[in-house]
Amino acid sequence: MSDAGYVGAETDSDSDAESGSEARTDGGATAGSEGARRSSNGFLGDFWVNFVRWNLKAVRNPFVVVGSLLQPVIFLVLFTQVFGQIATGAISRGGGAGISYETFLLPAIAMQVSLAAGAGSGIGLVNDMEEGMFEKVLVTPMSRTAVFLGKTAAELLRIVVQILIILGMGTLLGANIATGIPGAVGIVVMGILFSLWFVALSNIAAIVTRDQESTIIGANLLQFPLLFVSTAFLPLEFLPGWIQTIAKFNPVTYGVDGARALMLDQDVMTVLDVSQFGGIWNTLVPAIVVLLALDIVLGGAMVYLLNRASSSSVR
Amino acid sequence: MEETAGRGAAIDADGVELTYSDGTEAVKGIDLEVPEGEFFGFLGPNGAGKTTTIKTFATLLSPTGGRITVNGFDVQREARKVRESIGYMAQETSVDLELTARENVRFAAQAYGVPRDRRADRIDELLDLVDLADVADKRADEFSGGMKKRLDVATALVHDPPLVFLDEPTTGLDPKARNKLWDYFQRINEEGTTLFLTTQYLEEADALCDRLAVILDGEIVAEGSPMELKRQVGGEILDVDLADSDERERAAEIARESGVFESDADVTVSDDGISVTAERAREHGTDLLVALRDADITVTGFNIRAPTLDDVFLAITGERPDLDRDDGDDATATTAEVTAE
Repeated sequence: MSDAGYVGAETDSDSDAESGSEARTDGGATAGSEGARRSSNGFLGDFWVNFVRWNLKAVRNPFVVVGSLLQPVIFLVLFTQVFGQIATGAISRGGGAGISYETFLLPAIAMQVSLAAGAGSGIGLVNDMEEGMFEKVLVTPMSRTAVFLGKTAAELLRIVVQILIILGMGTLLGANIATGIPGAVGIVVMGILFSLWFVALSNIAAIVTRDQESTIIGANLLQFPLLFVSTAFLPLEFLPGWIQTIAKFNPVTYGVDGARALMLDQDVMTVLDVSQFGGIWNTLVPAIVVLLALDIVLGGAMVYLLNRASSSSVR
Repeated sequence: MEETAGRGAAIDADGVELTYSDGTEAVKGIDLEVPEGEFFGFLGPNGAGKTTTIKTFATLLSPTGGRITVNGFDVQREARKVRESIGYMAQETSVDLELTARENVRFAAQAYGVPRDRRADRIDELLDLVDLADVADKRADEFSGGMKKRLDVATALVHDPPLVFLDEPTTGLDPKARNKLWDYFQRINEEGTTLFLTTQYLEEADALCDRLAVILDGEIVAEGSPMELKRQVGGEILDVDLADSDERERAAEIARESGVFESDADVTVSDDGISVTAERAREHGTDLLVALRDADITVTGFNIRAPTLDDVFLAITGERPDLDRDDGDDATATTAEVTAE
């Protein structure tokens, strides 16, 4: 039969998960249940159990916490030290007088952290599939939506912490967040918004390949070209024509420009000509719209694939 | 309600079919009833449809035909109720290697909604049951294969389910680890838990199960107690290897005619010699060797064994199972060998 059959069946069992618990309270399955009596956790309980598990795993695995922060930190330190003088000069010639490269680069590094952490989401999923934990969780009565949201929330928490660390380090290196604390919070929110499409993408890679190496390689291979063919490291006008063209269609540009607008308190978006919102909102509004649209499309594709994978998990 | 028909039976399956999206018919109409408290075995070679069937019963796959009730609940319409009332242990050991043994069991206890006030006791109880109390706070990636498997067992039992599915639980374990698992299974079965076990080892089914179904190519080809099934094979098997394969027919003739065995003995010519299936064949082994020596036939190998799964299939279906037919697993390494104890 077709895949549609499984998806349909999954929908049935999912709706049962939400509504069925009340339908039968006549104790049809209480036989032999003295001892550790079962009770339902509810959606929040299921969410919490998984949130705790993934946080515990992250803390246990130094590679996840430190490793994914290492590359952005190296970029931040080396780029500012090696290119700092030239880049600061170039930026001020391009009309950004008084903006240090540290300040210019920091929002891009914050988005790099989001990318790296987003890549980790798919790796976590494929790891669970290989260890059999994916299936083990599917056979429990937990709400599958809560399971997935718990895991994602743990990953977002990690992104928040890592971006805050990066912003702190950048400030120590001399970067200046012109919008202050609210701006820093805004950059964190932008980081979350920006990470979600990549979370979805890395999960899609995990479900499609079901192979840890492929997921890691795929996510990492994509990260660097995406960063370089965007406005992350230099203003758009200093990039060659073909990169300018690609940068327009590159989600990284929107995340970085959004974060950078908050960092500099300026309208920095040059890939789109938006002027009706005033000030930094000319950057923030299009950035948020583009990222949200991308999150919804890729997120939807991921949910569809995840549903299919969990209702026919054999192979 | 219709479901009342399923009461009293842990599993009630009726005409279950499962066809994968690529057209593979993994399960072709299975009828099965497993009463509460039974230790039921599902026996078959790799690729026969055991895992597909067990996953269908455990709500991991949706049947494309037929009806299944588990603990009185429909697996499709009441999937969550089914999941609450079963334990499931997958063929591949499934533990979170980054968590400790205790954390793994705790996660399962929370996932199955074991009430908070019972949780700590229950976790200790289970770690004790599977002999992991000493290493409860060690991470699972430090464990041996057998220890991981035992941890997996513990996590499948946290909510004290009335029915537990065990998919080839001992494949790949050494005999010591295997015997330990057998002990746990027997213990929880004696306490009233229904167990549904799949295996490709006749020996395992024999040691544990009250009743067996043999599945071959997606269909149940035989059902009964281990004794009943083995009776279909008819006793023990003597394999005799000969130095000269041209002597095989003559040796078979001697085995049939010399009066060494009872008249219902089944003598066949094999690749290297002859093979005799008979009741109490082992008692007459030396007589056969003497008879062959008297006829100047040189014997190079001699083996007495219990019937294997192959032999059961041979007896049931009249043909050797095609063990190469498989869905991609590494089937060849584990073609159901059972040697004489």
